[in-house]
Amino acid sequence: MSPRLLVLIPLAVGINLAMGQFASAISLPVYLDTVGTILVAALTGLVPALITGLLSQVVTTVVSGNSIWIAFLPVQLYVAAFAAVAARAGAFRGIWRTVGTGLLLGATAALLSWPIAYLAFGGVTATGVTAVTTVLTAIGFPLRWAVLAASASTDLLDKTATVLLVRGLLVALPRRTAARFPLAERALGRA
Amino acid sequence: MVGYVATEGPLHRAHPLTVLTFGATIAILAFVLRGPWGPVAVFAVALGAAFTERVPGVLKPAAVLALPFWIFLLVIHGLLRSDVATAVTLGARISAILVGFLVVLSAVPPSRLVEALVAKRVPFSAAFLLAATLQAVPRLRERAAAVLEAQRCRGLALRGSVIHRVRAIVPLTVPLVLGALGEVDERALALEARGAGAGRRTPLDPPRDGTMDHLVRWCCAALIVVAIVVRVA
Repeated sequence: MSPRLLVLIPLAVGINLAMGQFASAISLPVYLDTVGTILVAALTGLVPALITGLLSQVVTTVVSGNSIWIAFLPVQLYVAAFAAVAARAGAFRGIWRTVGTGLLLGATAALLSWPIAYLAFGGVTATGVTAVTTVLTAIGFPLRWAVLAASASTDLLDKTATVLLVRGLLVALPRRTAARFPLAERALGRA
Repeated sequence: MVGYVATEGPLHRAHPLTVLTFGATIAILAFVLRGPWGPVAVFAVALGAAFTERVPGVLKPAAVLALPFWIFLLVIHGLLRSDVATAVTLGARISAILVGFLVVLSAVPPSRLVEALVAKRVPFSAAFLLAATLQAVPRLRERAAAVLEAQRCRGLALRGSVIHRVRAIVPLTVPLVLGALGEVDERALALEARGAGAGRRTPLDPPRDGTMDHLVRWCCAALIVVAIVVRVA
């Protein structure tokens, strides 16, 4: 692995974890914990993105002490793979194309996190999502559909916001930095 | 208390990979054994480990992390679905994993784990990535806090309508991320100058991996296999 990737990946994981501070500061129901992973996917491709996703989930688990997070590792890996493929196809070319990418990523990520949350933890995971699940269950939704609806509502919003944010970052990249990551130009449809 | 605690105990003296195997065994058995008594027994073992390792302090963060789970489990499964056994099974499972994991964290300093991995011929890049990430996270968090304060001083409002708050994400994120990307080249050069990727490296003080460590790891593996066989049969 090149020294540049050895430096970039830890920084991207740090960004994933630091974004949580911004998410809580603006009090919105988003996590933004995949910004670094999607950024690495757009800058350097599939394998570094997968490593970033893997390390993010492991380090989130270690730093928070909440071992439940490691169960959601497949979701991080899926986000990394999806973002790498989408970036290669020029998914960040325009605003609406990026929104569509975010919605598709959110919907499919929710389908992946739903069985993990439902089968392994009985629908009880993070407080915000579980509050929605509890309300839906209380008004008569079967638990499995309540968990799916709660996962989908947060994932659609979170992943769309995250993908839009990464597009903004790619556009704002200084030319000198962008020149070192040719895949970024391709993700924006410029190459 | 999340992280390494310098104290005395069997796990503190063990090889880091033995401690990780212990944590993995707790997590797997909590899922494999039938509820509610299986996960409750695993939870009791994890609690016992916290005391034999002399790290009862880990029980406080474990309780803080587990409490919301217990509340939601008792509401959703106990109250709304009249299934207290499922609530206890899931609660004990989550609590066992949390306590077991915090005990593992308290027993293994990250630098020791990296030494152990290098000694076991794990590629330098993998060991470096783990160590560098654990160092980068607090640095990026500090920088995020500084960006947040700086933008607030410049009058960035973080309250108000949803659109207003969504817009506030951009001036927070751009300086953090572009600042991080700006230091990639400089750090990559420093790594290159220090021979990163130049081949196998020698650990200075690798942890001792004795017969007892091997025995414990094999016993853990056997326990997992037996539990899975009993569950499937």
